[in-house]
Amino acid sequence: MTRQNFIPRIQKLSSASLCLLLLAAASPPSTAMMKHGNMMMDETGMIMNANADNLPRDCKEISEDVDIVIRAGHEHAQKFPGKMFAFDRQEWDVKPCSRINITFINDDQIRHQMMIHGLPGYLYPDGMVHLELYGQGELKASLIVPSRPKTYLVHCEIPQHMEKGMKAQLKVDGGDGDLPSIPGISEPVTPDVYPVAWSQTTWIALIVSLTIGLAAPIIGGIWLNKRLQAKQLSAKDSA
Amino acid sequence: MHRHFFVLFSLLIGAQPALAWLTPPAMHEPAGIEPPATLPYRLDETGGIEKPCSNDHPEWRDAQTIDGLEIAASPMCEPDNPYDIAVSVKGTNNVSMHTLMQTHFAQDALIKTDDLDGDGDPDVIRIKLEVTELNGQSPDGEFLINTFPIAPGIEPGLWVYSPKMVGMGVKHFNSLVANPILRAPSPVIRVEQGDKVYITLENTHYLPHTIHLHGVDHPWLNSEGKDNDGVEEHPVFPGQNHTYEIQTRHAGTMIYHCHVQTAQHMMMGLTGMIIVEENRPNNWLQTFNIGAGHVRHPSVAIKEKFNREYDLVYQSIDKRLASIVQGANDPRLIAQRMNREYNMTESFENYFLLNGRSFPYTLRDGIIVAEENEHIKLNLVNAQRSAAAIHFHGHKATIMAYDGVKAAEGSQITRDVFDITPAQRLDLDLYTKNDGLHSYGPGLWMFHDHVVTGTTTDGLEPGGNMSILAYRHLLDAQGMPHMHDEMFDQVFTKNYYEKKLPAWGSGEYGDALGEAGMLAPDYVRIAGFGLAVGLLLGVIIFIVVALNRKLSQ
Repeated sequence: MTRQNFIPRIQKLSSASLCLLLLAAASPPSTAMMKHGNMMMDETGMIMNANADNLPRDCKEISEDVDIVIRAGHEHAQKFPGKMFAFDRQEWDVKPCSRINITFINDDQIRHQMMIHGLPGYLYPDGMVHLELYGQGELKASLIVPSRPKTYLVHCEIPQHMEKGMKAQLKVDGGDGDLPSIPGISEPVTPDVYPVAWSQTTWIALIVSLTIGLAAPIIGGIWLNKRLQAKQLSAKDSA
Repeated sequence: MHRHFFVLFSLLIGAQPALAWLTPPAMHEPAGIEPPATLPYRLDETGGIEKPCSNDHPEWRDAQTIDGLEIAASPMCEPDNPYDIAVSVKGTNNVSMHTLMQTHFAQDALIKTDDLDGDGDPDVIRIKLEVTELNGQSPDGEFLINTFPIAPGIEPGLWVYSPKMVGMGVKHFNSLVANPILRAPSPVIRVEQGDKVYITLENTHYLPHTIHLHGVDHPWLNSEGKDNDGVEEHPVFPGQNHTYEIQTRHAGTMIYHCHVQTAQHMMMGLTGMIIVEENRPNNWLQTFNIGAGHVRHPSVAIKEKFNREYDLVYQSIDKRLASIVQGANDPRLIAQRMNREYNMTESFENYFLLNGRSFPYTLRDGIIVAEENEHIKLNLVNAQRSAAAIHFHGHKATIMAYDGVKAAEGSQITRDVFDITPAQRLDLDLYTKNDGLHSYGPGLWMFHDHVVTGTTTDGLEPGGNMSILAYRHLLDAQGMPHMHDEMFDQVFTKNYYEKKLPAWGSGEYGDALGEAGMLAPDYVRIAGFGLAVGLLLGVIIFIVVALNRKLSQ
């Protein structure tokens, strides 16, 4: 769709700007994006607060480079019953002071986001890194994480996308616990209620257990009583 | 000795029922000579009083020029963001990056290119719509997210088509309130007669939807030979998109809506107005009127005849249907409850909205501002389940068109109640000439649905789709009507809509018509009754025990 829009627009531009555009199109996508403050954007998506160079205050150096590919879309939710959208992975664990090089791929025909929250505000305004694709496509961006063990929220913030499964967590140095309602990892705070499949077998299991429970003290009592009587008899005999 | 005891006990037993009968205390009792006093009106203590107008963006009200585009003044409390209007008129591809950044439109939300007929305006229009859930559920706690209150404290689950956006769906990163671009009603869409329009539905929602362009001239199949009518058997599933194509030969006010599980999905909010404007030179149209209401950049044809233009979308909500999306998170459970368990034939309408809001919120962005001797164009659509009877106080307007078809000169009826059945549209000319027919003069005139449920919110007055037709000089600097301060204190309070406050609790008649108090408990009677019943029970037990002893001796 974007390419189709692109062609008629090119035809309308003067030759000078056409040359500039072609130059821009020839270079890698991340540099072709226009930069606005801490945001890069074009007709296919946007990146906010990417940071490949600035170290968090508590890091002396980058400990290692970690390359992560994150795919987003409906197809990745198919393995989670009751979910509609998901990332292909729900958890990553990295070393303190890692530089994470993210490749974000959208497999749907709609908009998806990959936001990471809770990062230090002095490096990442509002504490977040935000990648957004307006449709199928790919974006690359890096960030450097601080040193202390922490679990960061990774999600798509489009209404009802996180709620319907697009939620994951990034752990630094093992993290500081699990976030709620991450598909396949943690329970929701307000879980849905489903009917339990009661059948004849279930009822039989309950009735049998009840019968055994009821019979056990009775049979046990009779047995104990008999033993006591036997003891009393033998005591009498010995007397 | 024993015999005496027995006589005494028998007497006591005999007296018990009489005593108990005389003094049974109750939860409700008749008042004596003096009924209880009126409770003090505790508006201040109950909390939750909102400012009638938050006045967040006073600068949005002025007439202004953005990227060379003239945007009319809109002196109401919450006018549209003028940058949204600039982008809606010029397209995301023809505005400066600064302008685009003042909005939340995605950069491909509205692409306008190719002046095919050479008359100075773009004729190939690519519109992208998403589907957004407002007041939705979260598995992470007992709260709603992307909230859009329709009235103080009232947040029913809602679905809307929304222009393709970018960034946060909430106001900021630690808020739950929906970004202002995400709101009811679904945006009014304007296209020009003859334009090649591509409307792409990008289904960001978790259930399938379509767009059916009701009344808009469109071929049955699109240029790819695929569904172009947006009907039930061609749903666009979550994560997918589909493009509907139109090149209309006929102009008029039409409607678009989802045609999947149509009854429920329309009632959830997937209905909007689409207006095909007559072709004119240099006719740059405001493609999106977000939240409907005032059109701050009307088309050339409208400007030829009218001083102002307003879009009025009437919509209703069944609170039981709306609560389904808030009661489960699993889309399968929501689908089951909505499609199979909920029964539309047994439904009610509880909330009535004008342009996405119920009174008193209609006063913030759903008023009509007028001056004397003006022709004001009103475009009405009924997106409710039931018929409406729209009435303007102090005015008789004239019907210009029915369902997007111009009425012949002789059938352009002037009247004061406009009956409009579901999905119908009316184009009205409201003429503010003080001649005793068209207008009775300047004022803050109410307008509302005259079907009596329409002015209530879950049965409570004043509410529903009530709003005002306000003459400019009777509005204050924040666009709120003068002379209503006392009423504002009452109705901009969620306790009022939770039915905790009396309608006439304050002022001169507050004592006469406020909330009646309760009777003080009569402790003598309560103690007497308690002692009597206790004694009776004690005696019965004593006798039973005594008899038992006697028998066993």
